[in-house]
This record gives sequence, structure tokens and C-alpha cells, in this order.
Amino acid sequence: MPIVEKSLVEVERTETLEVDGIDVSGDWNTFLKSRVSSDLDARILDWVKGEPQGETISRCWQCGTCTAGCCMHTDYGLTDFNPRYFIYLAQIGYEEELRKYATTIWRCVSCNKCVERCPKGVKVEEVVHRIGSYLTATGAAPESPADRFDRAYTKNLLRRGVLDEAELFREYERLEGRKTPTRELLRMAWTLLKSGRLHTGPLAHRTRGWSRMRSVLEAQLAEDDRAHAPRSRGPPAGGPR
Amino acid sequence: MNPILVLGGGPAGLSAAGELAAIGAPTLLVERESYLGGNPVRWQYSLLAPDLHPAEDVMGPLLRRVEGSASIERRLGTTLVSAERSAKGYRVGLKNADTVETREVSAVILATGFDHFDSRRKFEYGYGRYPDVLDFKEVEKMLHEDRIVRPSDGQPPKRIAWILCVGSRDVQVGNPWCCRMGCVVSIKQAVEVRQKHPEIDAYVYYMDIRTYGLWEDLYWKSMQDHGVKFIRGRIGQVTLAEGGSRLLATGEDTILSRPTEVPFDMIILASGMEPSAGTRDVASLFGLPVGPEGFLTPRESDLNPVDSGIPGLFLAGAATGPKAIPDAVTEGMGAALRAYQYARD
Ligand code: SF4
Ligand code: SF4
Ligand code: SF4
Repeated sequence: MPIVEKSLVEVERTETLEVDGIDVSGDWNTFLKSRVSSDLDARILDWVKGEPQGETISRCWQCGTCTAGCCMHTDYGLTDFNPRYFIYLAQIGYEEELRKYATTIWRCVSCNKCVERCPKGVKVEEVVHRIGSYLTATGAAPESPADRFDRAYTKNLLRRGVLDEAELFREYERLEGRKTPTRELLRMAWTLLKSGRLHTGPLAHRTRGWSRMRSVLEAQLAEDDRAHAPRSRGPPAGGPR
Repeated sequence: MNPILVLGGGPAGLSAAGELAAIGAPTLLVERESYLGGNPVRWQYSLLAPDLHPAEDVMGPLLRRVEGSASIERRLGTTLVSAERSAKGYRVGLKNADTVETREVSAVILATGFDHFDSRRKFEYGYGRYPDVLDFKEVEKMLHEDRIVRPSDGQPPKRIAWILCVGSRDVQVGNPWCCRMGCVVSIKQAVEVRQKHPEIDAYVYYMDIRTYGLWEDLYWKSMQDHGVKFIRGRIGQVTLAEGGSRLLATGEDTILSRPTEVPFDMIILASGMEPSAGTRDVASLFGLPVGPEGFLTPRESDLNPVDSGIPGLFLAGAATGPKAIPDAVTEGMGAALRAYQYARD
């Protein structure tokens, strides 16, 4: 494709053209190479279908009814949020393109209008979430502060079977690289202490017989992680991609 | 009564001949090939769309009824070389090897059928050059024998693409019509492959999916139950990839609005349906009207779809246009009845 002016080109649709180490794509008299979709990975669809939430994805025939009525896409005007398109990318296994929507895909507000309207009975709302989970599980979506908080919370709870708020707070601060001024910390600690809720360190509560309970929970969580890990069927690269 | 001539031993001709025998009319069945059964037998069709019945279950009874009948005179390896109107019927010349025999017949049923489009004419797809580009009629035999392997190296394919509308809906090859069968048969093949070998990925490239009427069900099931994938876009060309070991299908994914180049181990072309050589021959011998597509045209296609409009000449099956086997069988029955009425009066 001969190019007039680089600013007129949607860069994500093109490859960069380098000559002698200089990026010349978009300069006069050079050519841009269209980016080509080629590495279709059938395992994405298998993964999405691997849980009841994603099972109906294969029914989709791309009519666009869901997107046409989608609160996010049409009413809110977030045109990047296109449930039909997410489904297509997952169906054909076009991972590279799908990854671009790793955060946008979570903007679904679960209004379920799409599910009510889909002529093929696709549970669009569930399927979109399942695709989102795929993206998160493969690390395509950056972990959000909320995700990190969830992790810290689970870890904290597992330790003694009862939450240690002060410890959770410290851990979260560490994860986020935040530092609350000492004066503020002291104020909070004093408030907690006064109300009898500063159960941390030697004052921490425990749950009786917790270690047995904990080992069961940990085993279950590990099992869940394994079941949700994408590509459990083989290595990510190579093979019949 | 002079015999009624049935020209063509495919599903429509077999059905017509069988019906005529059943009502006791003398019948002369002429087939240019050395065997009866037409395209389904020639290409050893596997399962028939959309119900996935084995082709034998349909062709077998049709063949046995004709072969077991004393009132059907069968002429194989025989072609019609001349035809002229006589008293009420026709005087026809039948050529077998080097001998021509003249016969009086009381009516003629033309069931001369179709030929599959010769995919070599769509040269961009490399059929005839790349061994792993196959025509879907050849795949029927593979499915039938359950030997789905790449002709190039005998290895089972990991990823197969079907390309629809090859030699159909294409003015470049002079065939603007829709073949009616390509979609449902390709989808059926993909389902057969996935049923037998779930490890093979199946992709279908389409412009429209025309599984009309109740056939839609197979299309839906192919997605939902068998994981066949559909990519909208017409493949522009097939080339070699990965040092010649795989095929590269280049097209535009029109849903992505983006060029797509995907390597496949095997590519299967849904070649269209054209009027057969026999159909073209009889059209000129009898001076029959043909449509712009070259198929025979009934004079009143909605009221009398099996009447040619010329006295004593009746039409059945894919000679009048792309048709599924049940439709051809039904038309054979209709043509038998009409021809019998004509011959008797
Ligand atoms: S409405 Fe249903 S079939 Fe249509 S694009 Fe959306 S999910 Fe697919
Ligand atoms: S449930 Fe989500 S995807 Fe469906 S219409 Fe509502 S916002 Fe859109
Ligand atoms: S039946 Fe399908 S494959 Fe055949 S010409 Fe029509 S749309 Fe194309």
C-alpha cells in the first residue's frame, strides 16, 4: 500500500518498514505492509468452551445483533467494546488482536440485553466475561490494583483463618509502592486500638484447627488455578499455530 | 408401446426408470458411462447432507430396483447420436463403441445431469498443481474410506480449510449461479472430519452460507457441536508456505477488514455444478431451449417443471439446474408419470 502520510494510517494495521535500520514506513514513495492475520490458535476457543460460561460461543454467526443493542457500545458510545468482535477473535483464534481489548472487554455492565436478543442463543454476556478471563489468565491484561488487593486479601485470610486488617494494609501498601505518612498511620492505629479492633501481631486472632482447614483450601485453590490455566493442552508457541 | 427412453443413469434417471418399471411401461435406460449411478457412484459419495445417511443407503435401492427389473433394457457405455421426430415419439440413434443402432421410442426423459466444475480452471487455487489442494468430490472417497491424509506425504492434516463457491457465483469462469450444494456438502464434510478426527481443525471460508430451509440445522450443529469455524471472505489465492510443506490461503477476513494469510495442511474446494457434457449434447440434438447458464429450461418451470415444452420430451434432475439427490429423485418420478401419460395416449 503506497502511503501518503503516516498520520493517516492506522498503525496497528500495518507493519513497520525499516531500511538500513531507519523506520521509513509512511514516508513518501515507501510502501506499508499490511499486517496480516495468520497465527490462528484453535486452543483459545477450546479454552473458552472449557467452562459452562463459555460453551455457547461456537453458536455465534456474527450477525451483530448483540453489539447493536449493547449498552456499552451503542448507548455509552464505547465503540471499542464490541461483543460480536470479541467473540469472532476468540472463535478464529486471533490472539494478537484479541489482546488489544484485554481491559476494554471488562467494561461490560452485564445488562444482558445481548443475551435477550441473540438469535442463536449465545449467552453473550457470559461468553464475553469468559474471554476476558482468558486474557487475564494469559497475562494479556495488566493486573489491576483490585486484583492485587484480592490476592493480598486471600493470602492474609489463609494465614490464620481470620483477617488481620493492619497486616493487610501494610501488605497492600507494599504491593502498590505507597507510603502513608506516619502521623496518619498512628491516627488510624489509635482509632483501631480504642475500638478494640487492632488484632495484629501478638494480639492477632486465630481460628481453632485452622491448619487442617487451610491445607484443604490451599489444595482446592491450586486445583482451581490449574483448571483455569490456559493452554493446559500444550506449549504456547510452535505446533499447529 | 415402444419403450420410453431414459437418458442418464444418475439418481433422476434411476428414479424415472424404476417408476416406469413399477407401472409396467417398457423402458430403455441409456448411460454414457460403463456403470449406473451417476456422480454419487462415480465419486463414491460418503454421507449425504444434511441427514448424514450413507450414500449407499440411497443409491443402493435405486440401483437394485433398476437392475432387478425385467422391463428395463439397460445400455451402458452408450450415447445418443441422433434424434428425430417420428409418428408420435422419436427415432433415436444409439452409439455403443463403433456400432450405431436405431430405435423407435415413445417418449424421452432427459436426466443427463451435471458435471462438477473443473477446479483447474480456477487456477489461483492451485488445484492440479499442489497435491494437497483437493476438490471436494475427491474428499468424499477419502471420507468413505476414512483415510484423511495429505496426498503429498500421506500424513494426516492438522488443519483443513474449505473454500466455498469455487467455480460458482463467479463471472470470471462464466458461472454466476449458486451451486446450492457446496455449502451443505462442505459443512457435512467438515462435520465428518471432526467426528472422526476431533484433533483436526476445520475452517470454512465463505461469502454467504446457503444451507437453505431445514438444512440450516446441520450448519448450526457444525458450529456448536463440532467446532467447525467459519471465516467470512473469499480466498484470493493459494500458494505454498513453509518451504512448500504447507499451503497458504490468502484472502481478506471481511469481518476483521484485514488481510489474512493462514497456513493449512490441506485445502478443499467446493467446486460448483455445471450442465454436464451430456446435457449440452442433448440440448443441441433435440433443439431444446437452454437458459443463459446452459441448463435445460422447462417451459413452465413452476407449473410443469418436468415438461420441456416439446411434445414427448421430459426433464428430470440436475440437467435443469443444481439439485440435491432427493429433488432429482422426485423429479424422476414426476417425469416418469408425465412420459407414461404421453406415451399411452
Ligand atoms: S447476536 Fe448472537 S449470533 Fe449475533 S453476533 Fe451477537 S452473539 Fe453472535
Ligand atoms: S451484557 Fe454486556 S455485552 Fe451484553 S449488552 Fe450489556 S453491556 Fe453489552
Ligand atoms: S451453495 Fe454455497 S458454495 Fe455453492 S455457490 Fe452457493 S453459496 Fe457458494
